[in-house]
Amino acid sequence: MAITIEEVKEKSLKDKIIDYIQEDVPDHLYTWPYTLGAIPLVLFAILLITGILMTFYYIPYPDRAYESVRDITYSIYLGWFIRGMHKLAVNLMILSLLLHMVRVFITRAYKDNGEVKWLLGAGIFFTSLAFGFTGYSLVYDNVSYWGMVVVTNMAGELPVVGKTLLLLLRGGEEVSEFTLIRLYDLHTKLLPLLIIVLITGHILAVRLLGFAKLGTDLKSVPTEGMHKFFPEHAMEVGLISICLLIFIVDIVMLFPPTLGTAANPLEVASNVSPPWYFSAVYKWITIVPRDAGLFAVMLFIILFFAYPYIDRFLSKRGTDMWRVNITISAAAVIVFTILTLWEIVRV
Amino acid sequence: MGVIHDNLSRRKFLSSAFMTLGLSFGLGTLFIRFGQFLTPEKKEKRIGEVLIGNFTDIPDGAATPLEISGNKILVVRSKDRITAFSRICTDLGCLVSWDAAREQFICPCHQGVYDKNGKNIAGPPPRPLDRFEILAKGENVYIRV
Repeated sequence: MAITIEEVKEKSLKDKIIDYIQEDVPDHLYTWPYTLGAIPLVLFAILLITGILMTFYYIPYPDRAYESVRDITYSIYLGWFIRGMHKLAVNLMILSLLLHMVRVFITRAYKDNGEVKWLLGAGIFFTSLAFGFTGYSLVYDNVSYWGMVVVTNMAGELPVVGKTLLLLLRGGEEVSEFTLIRLYDLHTKLLPLLIIVLITGHILAVRLLGFAKLGTDLKSVPTEGMHKFFPEHAMEVGLISICLLIFIVDIVMLFPPTLGTAANPLEVASNVSPPWYFSAVYKWITIVPRDAGLFAVMLFIILFFAYPYIDRFLSKRGTDMWRVNITISAAAVIVFTILTLWEIVRV
Repeated sequence: MGVIHDNLSRRKFLSSAFMTLGLSFGLGTLFIRFGQFLTPEKKEKRIGEVLIGNFTDIPDGAATPLEISGNKILVVRSKDRITAFSRICTDLGCLVSWDAAREQFICPCHQGVYDKNGKNIAGPPPRPLDRFEILAKGENVYIRV
């Protein structure tokens, strides 16, 4: 095998960096389903900035939490704007992560070294849900207070780990000031640390292991063009960021964030409901027997993480996984939508 | 040569195995301790009798909500019988309220329904409402919490 001059001569660090940022990326990243990975990243940056800004005013103590959120929303200059961006960005982030997962699932992009990407990505998704729950609880209005009670109780009913998890989350058997400070710590310190590690790992995995091949089986991969990561791809991500920013700013202007009545530990809110991304699970555990429902949720999470390996196992035995995945994802999207709407649109 | 090489790699393997074992044991115990630090101790429940009022003070047919040392209680009187229930729904810990017209306890979170004896009759609750003992000493009514 011929050795090129580049391989003989060791590259300087500068050359390596230039090579890295100018690496070729496939042209299919220009199509919209393949931008769904960059969108949550941009949203995460928005969440990080607006979140840090709000920590300068938020007071994580039960007597003051609601007041401080009220001040952010109604008194502090541009507070409503920062909180609105934060609130909208997290909803969009979870939505785009869901869509991103559907895309990855349908195209079976978790194959051929993609397992690591899938595992890290699944980690990012569940960490985002944890962010959603903890952030929702910090608002401390009556709906979010009782949402916190219900969700921590749900965690407490999980088999084996439940009781310990409940004590760890609540810092006691009942919801108290320790619960709020723990959720605050999780939301502003531990979870950000975790998600930054996971996101870095996910992006590194995508860059080092390569982008997913287009097409459902390798024979039908179309020969496609490439473009440079910098500037072409970076420009595309920039364009997405600007579009997202314009969209978020507009929506926040039109629909500024609101706040319910203060948390009242003695009076359940009449409309206790978790954020929309938990609605499906919340509905699910009410329509099936509780233990079976929670067990099913845990099983689903385990199967979800293990899916690339299940796919490999089945396709080796001749199952047409392309059809299986299309069926599963269509069913999952339909069930999720029905359960969510059923919970949100109360009759 | 081969034998020496073999021994070396075995020695290396053993030393790194011991190192890994030791490290994971050390770090493991350390993190278990960290976990214990975060897990609060269960407080022992102290039982005491609290006077809640005169028999006639408690309205008939209605449920009076009380909070005694963190326990959220509903005291229900029907004629000359008084019962006290915990307001905490046995489903997911929301608070039940008394529906006087239907003589039922309703939980707003998942529409759990209990009858006037605290028995779970509809919705997801897995067991009846917890009860508190009521003691009558003359005209005075005490509750054990």
